[in-house]
Amino acid sequence: MSEMSAGAIRRKPLVMRYPSLLIFLACLAVFTVGVTVLSEGLGIGVISTSFIKTLGKTLCLCLVALAMDLVWGYCGILSLGHMAFFGIGGYAIGMWLMYTRTELIVVQSLANRPLPPTPEEISDGIATQIFGVVGASEFPPIWAVAHSLPLQLAAVVLVPGLLALVFGWLAFRSRVTGVYLSILTQAMTLALSLYLFQNDSGLRGNNGLSGLQNLPGLGDVPQSVVSMWFFWASALALGVGYVLCVAIVSGKFGSVIRAIRDDEARVRFLGYPVEAYKLFIFAFTAILAGIAGALYYPQAGIVNPAEIAPIASIYLAVWVAIGGRGRLYGAVIGAAFVSLLSTWFTGGQAPDVNLGFATIQWVDWWTVLLGLSFVAVTLFAPKGIGGVFDLIAHKRSPDRHGADLGPEPGALREREADQ
Amino acid sequence: MSTLLEVSGVSVSFDGFKAINNLSFNIGPRELRAVIGPNGAGKTTFMDIITGKTRPDEGKVLWGEKSQSLLAMSESRIAQAGVGRKFQRPTVFEDQTVAENLMLALRKSRNPLSVLRFRPSRDDEEKVGELAAEIGLGAALGRKSGELSHGQKQWLEIGMLLAQDPKLLLVDEPAAGMTPSEREHTTDLLVEAAKTRAVVVVEHDMEFVRRLGCKVTVLHEGSVLAEGSIDHVTSDKQVIEVYLGR
Repeated sequence: MSEMSAGAIRRKPLVMRYPSLLIFLACLAVFTVGVTVLSEGLGIGVISTSFIKTLGKTLCLCLVALAMDLVWGYCGILSLGHMAFFGIGGYAIGMWLMYTRTELIVVQSLANRPLPPTPEEISDGIATQIFGVVGASEFPPIWAVAHSLPLQLAAVVLVPGLLALVFGWLAFRSRVTGVYLSILTQAMTLALSLYLFQNDSGLRGNNGLSGLQNLPGLGDVPQSVVSMWFFWASALALGVGYVLCVAIVSGKFGSVIRAIRDDEARVRFLGYPVEAYKLFIFAFTAILAGIAGALYYPQAGIVNPAEIAPIASIYLAVWVAIGGRGRLYGAVIGAAFVSLLSTWFTGGQAPDVNLGFATIQWVDWWTVLLGLSFVAVTLFAPKGIGGVFDLIAHKRSPDRHGADLGPEPGALREREADQ
Repeated sequence: MSTLLEVSGVSVSFDGFKAINNLSFNIGPRELRAVIGPNGAGKTTFMDIITGKTRPDEGKVLWGEKSQSLLAMSESRIAQAGVGRKFQRPTVFEDQTVAENLMLALRKSRNPLSVLRFRPSRDDEEKVGELAAEIGLGAALGRKSGELSHGQKQWLEIGMLLAQDPKLLLVDEPAAGMTPSEREHTTDLLVEAAKTRAVVVVEHDMEFVRRLGCKVTVLHEGSVLAEGSIDHVTSDKQVIEVYLGR
């Protein structure tokens, strides 16, 4: 009898072990089809192209939130630097977009000259076009493969992945955990953003890369259609990312990383090389973030160093916390809900509130509201929005008598054991 | 009798305080041993050294037939080599079910890539079921371990150690906070476990140690004060003076 119940827990297909997967994929599919039908470019025109882009960008934010939930909610590593990987992904694809499109423009403008232009002239022309804004006219070495789409696409995956591997290896090997690791990741993203702000960083300083919404060679295709392509690609990436994350967290690997989150030392004494697991998750989520960024910035049209500022990664943690960490759909709900709400408030659409003695203008006060809701969620509803689903499913978590579930299983549990 | 673990001349100090002072200790492959001593005698530090949590300042820790040194190995490597440890407070993964906890501990490859591909076979599931039955949690496989009583958590942790199938089992105060009947069950489990492996039990409770009926090592100020049967050590003058007489 006992072995049957063991089997009942383990021997089920992925969807049965993780019923929310099917629901999520169905919701995503319905959403994608619905938006397509209502779109300006391909449907009946209820949703404007700019809002399609907002929705597409939101899907990318959901993907990076998924990565954040995996690394923080499941593995207990509160990384406050994942938006750096997101930004790197954007830069990597942005370099190709900008280079190729500028090349077309330069070739076109040189075509009318009596002598056909030499490759050097074309290259100089592109460099002057791209780097004139920072007072340079030569290609920095970092642009060496910018002409090649496959190589820049490889960079979308490899650069964040390798950076995360090196950074993670250094940090995890020295057993840096908890708040110290969070500070370290903040330092990483700050350093990267400060470096990119410099004009001689080779990536156009604070101007960043722009004009990314224009796909080279497809100038005839209207933005209303291009936006749909990116919307679909974002939806597909989110769907595939979700399935991958479910595959990781639902099996024994997920069991190990949740155990690492709750009691790292104990996992080590079970014989698991904890550092290798953390490194795997850290690098994998960095790659997910890079892919999300590579889909986000062509929809935003511009990527600049301000996108990598430390606050961006903190927002990411706030989305996951509000959505409910430790459950994948929670991260998606949190990112979608908060980022869309943020667009509404900061877009000037929210009506001002007149209190008599002062007027609350939401463009300024939205961050205060967001901060207060973050504090409220942390104190009163630590499960976040995702906790609502537990109420529906009548799922109760075990009574821990106040002991922590978090990465620092602290004194409370010890006190419980002493009694 | 051959030796499984040989600790010789080990010393370690924290900020000048000698927690372990020239300690030597041997245990055979199928032996039950109780380690007793007053607070601060170095019992927990002794376990920390064997499991790789603390590095000693000097001395040797040799393991197994090949006399491998444990000092150069990481905690996870030592655990893979066959040293299992049970902590004083029950540390099970409360957010996970009893079955998941046991499956985590089951002796399998610990490599991340093989864990990623791991699917439990029927054998694995049967093993988990048997273990659960052995620790009296056969009906609780699907329950989250956070819901279990204190004593059940202690057993689950012992079950996890058995699943790990270590050659040496280090157990820190297994009877702490248990009811008399739970204690009896624990004694049986430990005696049974020692038939197939070495078991070192650190314990305060003299009655519990007596019931184990095994060789006893008395630690005091970081070194061995006396060693022998329970009756032998309890009649030792020095032991009475530093420990029992108080």
